[in-house]
Parts: sequence; structure tokens; C-alpha cells
Amino acid sequence: MVDPDNQTSHLVAPVLEQLERGSGPFSSLIQQLTQIVGKNSLLYDADELLVYECDGYIVDKSAPDIVVFPTSTEQISSIVKICNQFNVPFLARGAGTSLSGGCLPIGGGVMIVLTRMKQILEINLRDRYAIVEPGMVNLHLTNALKGTGYHYAPDPSSQGSCTIGGNIATNSGGPHTLKYGVTTNHVLGLEAVLPDGSVINLGGPTAETPGYDLHGVYVGNEGTFGICTKAIVRLTRDPEAHRTMLAVFQTISDATRAISEIIAAGIIPSALEMMDQGIIQAIEEAFHFGFPLDAGAVLLIEVDGLEIALDEEARRIVEICNAHNLREIQRADTPEERLLIWKSRKQAFGAIGRLSPSYCTQDGVVPRTRLPEILEFIEATSQKYGMRIVNVFHAGDGNVHPILLFDERDQDQIQQVMEASEEILSKCLELGGSVTGEHGIGVEKINFMSRIFNETDLSQMEKVRNIFNPRQICSRDKVLPPHGEESQSAVTLSHPGRRAPH
Amino acid sequence: MTLTHSGTPEDFVPTSQSELSRFLSDNATSARKQTFPVGGRTSLAVCCPDSHSGPLICTSQLNRVVDYPVRDMTITVEAGMRLDQLNEIISAEGQRLPIDVPQSNRATIGGVIATNTSGPRRFSYGTIRDYVIGISAVDGVGNLFKSGGRVVKNVAGYDLGKMLVGSLGTLSVISQVSLNLRPRPECMQLVWFDFDSCQSVDQALEAIVTSGTRPTAVEYCNSKAARQITAESRIELPNENHAVCICYEGPENVVKWQAQQIINEWRAFSSLDAQIIEGSQASQLYNALTEYQTSSDDPVTLKAVVLPSQMMSFIETATSLNIAVQAHAADGIVFGHLPDSASSLENVNQILEQLQSVIDPGTGYLTIYQCESDWAESLPLFCSPPAGWELMQQLKQALDPLQLLNSRRFTELVKS
Ligand SMILES: Cc1cc2nc3c(=O)[nH]c(=O)nc-3n(C[C@H](O)[C@H](O)[C@H](O)COP(=O)(O)OP(=O)(O)OC[C@H]3O[C@@H](n4cnc5c(N)ncnc54)[C@H](O)[C@@H]3O)c2cc1C
Ligand SMILES: Cc1cc2nc3c(=O)[nH]c(=O)nc-3n(C[C@H](O)[C@H](O)[C@H](O)COP(=O)(O)OP(=O)(O)OC[C@H]3O[C@@H](n4cnc5c(N)ncnc54)[C@H](O)[C@@H]3O)c2cc1C
Repeated sequence: MVDPDNQTSHLVAPVLEQLERGSGPFSSLIQQLTQIVGKNSLLYDADELLVYECDGYIVDKSAPDIVVFPTSTEQISSIVKICNQFNVPFLARGAGTSLSGGCLPIGGGVMIVLTRMKQILEINLRDRYAIVEPGMVNLHLTNALKGTGYHYAPDPSSQGSCTIGGNIATNSGGPHTLKYGVTTNHVLGLEAVLPDGSVINLGGPTAETPGYDLHGVYVGNEGTFGICTKAIVRLTRDPEAHRTMLAVFQTISDATRAISEIIAAGIIPSALEMMDQGIIQAIEEAFHFGFPLDAGAVLLIEVDGLEIALDEEARRIVEICNAHNLREIQRADTPEERLLIWKSRKQAFGAIGRLSPSYCTQDGVVPRTRLPEILEFIEATSQKYGMRIVNVFHAGDGNVHPILLFDERDQDQIQQVMEASEEILSKCLELGGSVTGEHGIGVEKINFMSRIFNETDLSQMEKVRNIFNPRQICSRDKVLPPHGEESQSAVTLSHPGRRAPH
Repeated sequence: MTLTHSGTPEDFVPTSQSELSRFLSDNATSARKQTFPVGGRTSLAVCCPDSHSGPLICTSQLNRVVDYPVRDMTITVEAGMRLDQLNEIISAEGQRLPIDVPQSNRATIGGVIATNTSGPRRFSYGTIRDYVIGISAVDGVGNLFKSGGRVVKNVAGYDLGKMLVGSLGTLSVISQVSLNLRPRPECMQLVWFDFDSCQSVDQALEAIVTSGTRPTAVEYCNSKAARQITAESRIELPNENHAVCICYEGPENVVKWQAQQIINEWRAFSSLDAQIIEGSQASQLYNALTEYQTSSDDPVTLKAVVLPSQMMSFIETATSLNIAVQAHAADGIVFGHLPDSASSLENVNQILEQLQSVIDPGTGYLTIYQCESDWAESLPLFCSPPAGWELMQQLKQALDPLQLLNSRRFTELVKS
């Protein structure tokens, strides 16, 4: 490839300072940050920092040096400017539910936790948008909209705790994204503090804005383009009615073929969630929903829209399921029954806690029609390693979530989790898919990037990242594989057997 | 290098991505000529003076299907594929890309992405940015790169596809694209309403927020535009006042129910009889609504994007200036064809000033969508600078450091 005079490529991140606890610069940094946020909004005690040493991805751990809880864009801008002045890395954290280590503070530094910025600034139904602060919990927005006839469509399974800022950073999906799309389809604009401390606005509340779609590029940056401080999100009409069903199948492949047929028949359900035998048993043990323990798979199918349309859609779905050896079907006739069906899905993760001390949720994607193949492969991998793997996932999108159960106190098991995950994700790629549908690359999947993308692809992504974050001072060593000695060592340090000492 | 029939001998017609990459890479290292990517050439003179000062890069030979796994409802095609060709292939399988494209017999998918083309259906289906799941392109110095993939859900790496949607060929030449498709609906009907004032239209549009129906599209036309659209579609409909045309798609019984329901709901705002248009007439009228934004012979076409709640007051001003107005009403996107009386730059500038004065500078934008190319030099094509302009400049610099791709078009983007 050409390298014209003024083209920058492969910028190596500069060396950032490692803070030494108790040193002069450390105290001075604490003092300056305290001036901005006040002493009740700052943590630096080693014990208190433990809570922040990992997010939902528990394989790697690394504590930040300082945690701050700002309450305004101005505070964030000042914090970021000070981090620049001291040359220490920083990163944003929402609720910390990331499953790919997005909140892991590689190289330490300052963690900016956004949970105190959780206001709704505006709701405008006529123009179909809301403006919220980044720490707003996803479900709280939808709760605030109850009764208006509108909701915020992206609904990750973690919606009861994850934040809109975190959703934007990771471009979250969820059960209803099959019909309604992922986060990027619902973000109209945003305000962000760039890694140099400047404040920018991208997009806006109108249907489109002139120029390049920078807010579109921002969504899914995994915290590496600066800190989102405000979001303008699209509001979606509530469906008039739902039909929610639990279809029980003898085998997984019957269920996956039914999924493919339903969509091929021109029906786009609002949700198509699959639970396999392992997860059914776990849920049953925990909550006693009455699932048959010997069933191969259960599909949670929901269609929504106008009342007048739904009976016919539901009828056709049942017909298709029947053609694929449907064993039995439960229908929700009341809103309470619907909630109960959804509860079984949403609490699946909670139920897993009963099966095993630790679990690692994977996030591969395959074309929908290749689901039977990937599930067979997952089963074979489970047998190969003698490790229990259960599945609960957004089947309509081909987004699988094999959950690998292990004991994190056992170093061998950690190694096996890594190897089994690697094999499953490689298979997803081989089937024409991707290694992440919604959790992101973070630190967890960084080694896959150079297998999915070639050097030129990565260097283009790097150029775009460098426009926002040229010094890599914000959320360093995430998403793109680092190069250069300094960066390399930063990552190697955090991966000793992929598990840092406590 | 292949020569074109219609272009100059310098024009380049790549037959593969690697040929395209080689051409741009050689150009960057040696001749460093300005180059201009073109698809169907449906709008080259638009918003861009002097666009032919170097070779055109014509995508006409990049028009193959790369992969169409029908049951996965995704397709990967080369960027020069014409929309009609794409639609034919996918509609044979009961699928569609729900993006309305004027002149679809000529426009290419690369051009649609580069210009972020959309039409009435955007209200319910979104725009092309919501359907691009993977993209390949070659930047100004010959780097062939891709982002995304071929599965509908994927968050590996940054979404560079978004950056290219609407970039007007100023960041790279799009060479291949993977799209998410939707099922074709069984039936479409339109309901044509006639209102006697802007105020009653506004009330009706506000009621859409809580309507029992779920329209696919909500189109507004003032009388001047309504007359042209009804003439074009050869359907006799009332067109002396303010027309609103609502579109429904889906299973037949559901569509029929909704058409009746909206008539009941809107009785409160319009005393005049509404008309239901179905069958082939519905397609004719829908096509006329899709084509209207680009179909005019008028000297200047404006596009305003405002909040839906502020749209009717803007339209009232535009109508008083004798402008023919069509709007994707529930999205606040307004197209205005200026009258013949806007015959001098001075007149046009006066009209622009009056319109600009009723746009909220915080949220609305007025742009010149089409005009004679010799006027484009003097008119403020983008009337206010976009948010994030400095980052945009850096993006342009990063992908086209030698300013070899459509650079005039880029400066027009921000001349203000
Ligand atoms: C039980 C469970 C179920 C889940 N289900 C789903 C699911 O269905 N779909 C799905 O997509 N994900 C799911 N996730 C993953 C996770 O919930 C999402 O990635 C979520 O968007 C993270 O939000 P958060 O507020 O917890 O962000 P965090 O975990 O705090 O942060 C995630 C990343 O975003 C960055 N970040 C956070 N806030 C900001 C901000 N304001 N500005 C810039 N960067 C920021 C962080 O630096 C980090 O890189 C699940 C997780 C769990 C534990
Ligand atoms: C400034 C502008 C804004 C427009 N906005 C809209 C709109 O909002 N809604 C609407 O309905 N129509 C819009 N149009 C009309 C639209 O251009 C046509 O409807 C059609 O989609 C263009 O396709 P085409 O293949 O004919 O492109 P062409 O007329 O050949 O090219 C149009 C533009 O796209 C670029 N381009 C074409 N192919 C590629 C490619 N493969 N890679 C990179 N760049 C390429 C060209 O350089 C040129 O800038 C707009 C046109 C212009 C010029």
C-alpha cells in the first residue's frame, strides 16, 4: 500500500504514567480531582477499589488507582484535562456489566463512573426523542415512559442495571432487537467529552444532520472515543398487543430449523429466544416454572403489533413449529402470564449461579441458518473438555451465548474455558459469522481482531480511533490489537494466564 | 485500465476491487489527479460545481451478486449494482430492501449509500444506514478496507459503514456492501386526505403520535406539489388545499382495517372525504411521491430537516413564498421546489433568508438539494455548519490525505 507523505499509520501510543500510590504526583492528582468532585465522590483506598477491579468479565482483574463519580459534563471535562496533565490513563464505567472486560483499567489510572449522572433531561413525544444522561439505567427510561405509549426499544437482558452510556459504547442488543434493531438504530445524537477534555455534540434530535455520521461511528466504540455525557435517543411506539409463547421441542435442531422457517415465511417476531436443556434444568431447579426437564430446547417466541394482526401470525408460527416436531406450546393469555414467561428468560443468568461458582458467557454470531451446526459444535466442545456448557440466546439474530461453567479457583479450568471459547468462536468465523454480536471486543477478544480484519482494515479503524483519541489515553488497549513495545507489555501484564492475582 | 463509452478516455471502469485499489494507489503515488466516483450519474451536477476536472471512476462493471444466502435474508453485492436489478433479484425471493430510491433504474447501491438516499418509508423502516451490515471501500490513496461482516448482528470493531453512509464519495469509493433484507409485505394501501389549513394538518400530524394505526409513511404536499404529484401518477385526487397521504403495508386485512381506522380518527381534523387508493394505483401514487424530490425541472430544490413539531410553521412560510412543498411529515423532512420566479441568485438568496429565519438554528437545517451547477458556486449549499465539523475535517484528512476524492463536494459540504 502507498504511504504518501502526510499519511500517519500505526501510531504508537505514548507512554502513560503508572501512578505510584502515596507518591507526590499521586497525592497531587487526588487533591486536584477532589477539588472538582468533592471528597465524597472519589475513592482511592485499595479496599474500596476492589469493587472496580473487574466488570462482568471476571477472568481478568486489575484495579484502577482512583475512582471518581462526576455529576456533570463540566466535571468530566475537568477530570479528563487533569488526567492529560498528569499523563495518566482514564476510562468510563457505567454499571460495569460489560462481559468483555471493557471496564478493565489496563495500566491503572482514573476510572470515571457515570452512575450519578442519571437524569432524564427531556422527553418529547411529538418529535419522538428523549435526552438522557449517560448513567441512566436502561430500564428506568422505559419505566419513566410508561403510559405515554412510547418506550426505548433496545433492551439488553441486563437492562435492569446497565446504563444508556454503556449501551451506546457497546452498541447493545437484546431480545427485542430482532425486530427493532440494536442501539445504533436508536441513537440520534450525543454529547461527549473527547479524550483531550473538549466537549462535542454529534448528530441531534432531527431525523438527520449534514455532514458525516459521526454519532453513528461513535456508537460501539467501547469507550475508546471519549466519554458520552448525554444521549439523544429515539422513542418507539409501544405495540398495541403481544402474543407470547413458549414452544417446547424434542431436539435443538428442530427448534433452530423452526426459527429459520418462521423468518423465511416473512414473519419477523419481536423476539425469538432459545434455551437449551441445560438451561431449562437450571431455571427449573431455581424457579419451578414447570418446564419438561427432558425437552431438548424451548423457544420463547413473541410477536407484537396491532391486535388485529396477531392471531393469524401466532397461528402461522404454531403451524411452522408443528412441522418441526413441536412437543407442546404454552401461550400467555394475560399480561401476568407474559411476564412470567419473560421472567424465565431474564432470570436464566441468575439460575446459572446455582450450577457453578463461575461462568463465562460467550457471544458468537452465525448466519441464522447455520445455528444447528454451531450448536452441534458447542455440544461436541463441551464433551471434548468435559465441561458443562449451557445455551440461552437471541436465536432470531443467530447470536449464540454458550455459557461455559467453571470454577475460577482452578487454574486448569480457566485455561480450558479459554481454549473452549476460542474453538467455539473460531467455528463461528468459519461458518461466516463473527466473534461478538453484542458484548464487544474489549480485552477479551482482542486477539481475534487480526483474524477477522486484515492489517489495512485495522489501520483504517485505528485512524478513525486516533481522530477521537490520538494519545490512547482513554480506555487504552481495547478493541484494536496494540502494537509497539509499551502497549504490548500493558496487555501482557493483565493476562497472566488470563487471571490477575486478587 | 478500461475506457468508457460515454466518458473521457481518462475515465476508469474497474472490474474488480483490486483493480480499483491499484488505480487509486497508482494515482496517489504518481499523477495525483482529482478523481470522481460515480454510480448511476443520476445526480452528479447536484450540489457540486465543476465536478469533472479529472477522471471519473465508474462503478458500472462492479455490479455482481457476491453472495445471497436467501434464508439468512442478507445479500452481498458490488457497489455498482443498480437498484432495479437488486430489487428484481430479492423480490423473486419475497424479500426487499425497504429504501425508496428515485430513478431506481439508474441509481446504484453505492450511490444510494454515498448520498444517504431515502424516501417516504423512512418513517417506519429507517434509512440505508440501518441496513448496511458490512462494507468494503477503497480510500483516496488506494487502501482497500472493510468493516462489519455478513451477519445481521456484529459488534467486532468500529462501524466504518456509518462513516461512509452520506459521505458523498469524499472518503472512499465504496466497492462492495452486505445488506440486511426484510420480507415483502402482502399488500399496500394509501389514504389521501385533504385539509383546509396548515393548522389542521398540524393537529392531525400530532394525533399520529397516539394513532391506533401504524403508518408506513406519512407524506404531506401543499397544493402546488399535490397537483404535480397527482398529475404524474394520473390519479384524480383533491389537490387544491393541503394533502396528507398515509401509507399502510402488511397483511391485507390489517392494512384495510388501518385505512378505515385513520379515516375515523382524522374526521376531527378534516371534514373533507378521504380517499383510499389501492392496487396498481397505490404503486403509481407511491412512485410519484418517491420521485418527486428529484423530479423537478425547477431551478432550485431545497431540503429542510426540522423537528416534526416545527415543520408546519416552516411549510406555511414556504407556501407563502410560492414554493412547491413535499414533506416526509412525521420525520420533519421537507423538500421545496422553488418557483420560476426565483430566476436570479438574488431572488434565491432572499427566499433562503426568509426560510432560514423560521428555522430553529439549534435543531434545524436548510440545504440546497439541487440547483443549476453554475449557481452552486455562489449559493450557500449547506446553510449552517454541521456539529463536529473539525472531526469531520480530520476524518477526510485521514482517509483522503491528498484530497483526491470528490474534494470539491466536501468543501461544498461546509461552505457557510
Ligand atoms: C446478565 C447480563 C446480561 C446481558 N445481556 C446483554 C444483552 O442482552 N445484550 C447486550 O448487548 N449486552 C448484554 N450484556 C452486556 C452488558 O450489559 C452491555 O454491554 C451493557 O451495554 C453495558 O452497560 P454498562 O452500563 O454496564 O457499561 P459498563 O460495563 O460499565 O461499560 C461497558 C463499556 O462501555 C464503556 N462506557 C460505559 N459508559 C460509557 C460512557 N458514558 N461513555 C463512554 N464509554 C462508556 C466502558 O468504558 C466499557 O468499555 C449483559 C450483561 C450481563 C451481566
Ligand atoms: C449531495 C446529494 C445529496 C443527495 N441526497 C439525497 C437524499 O437525501 N435523498 C434522496 O432520495 N436522494 C438524494 N440524492 C440523490 C441521489 O444521488 C440519487 O437518488 C441516487 O441515489 C444516487 O445514485 P447514483 O448511482 O446515480 O449516484 P451518482 O449520481 O452517480 O453519484 C452521486 C454521489 O455519490 C457518489 N458515489 C456514487 N457511487 C459511489 C461509490 N460506489 N462510492 C463512493 N461514492 C459514490 C458520487 O461521487 C456522487 O457524489 C442526493 C444527491 C446528492 C448529490
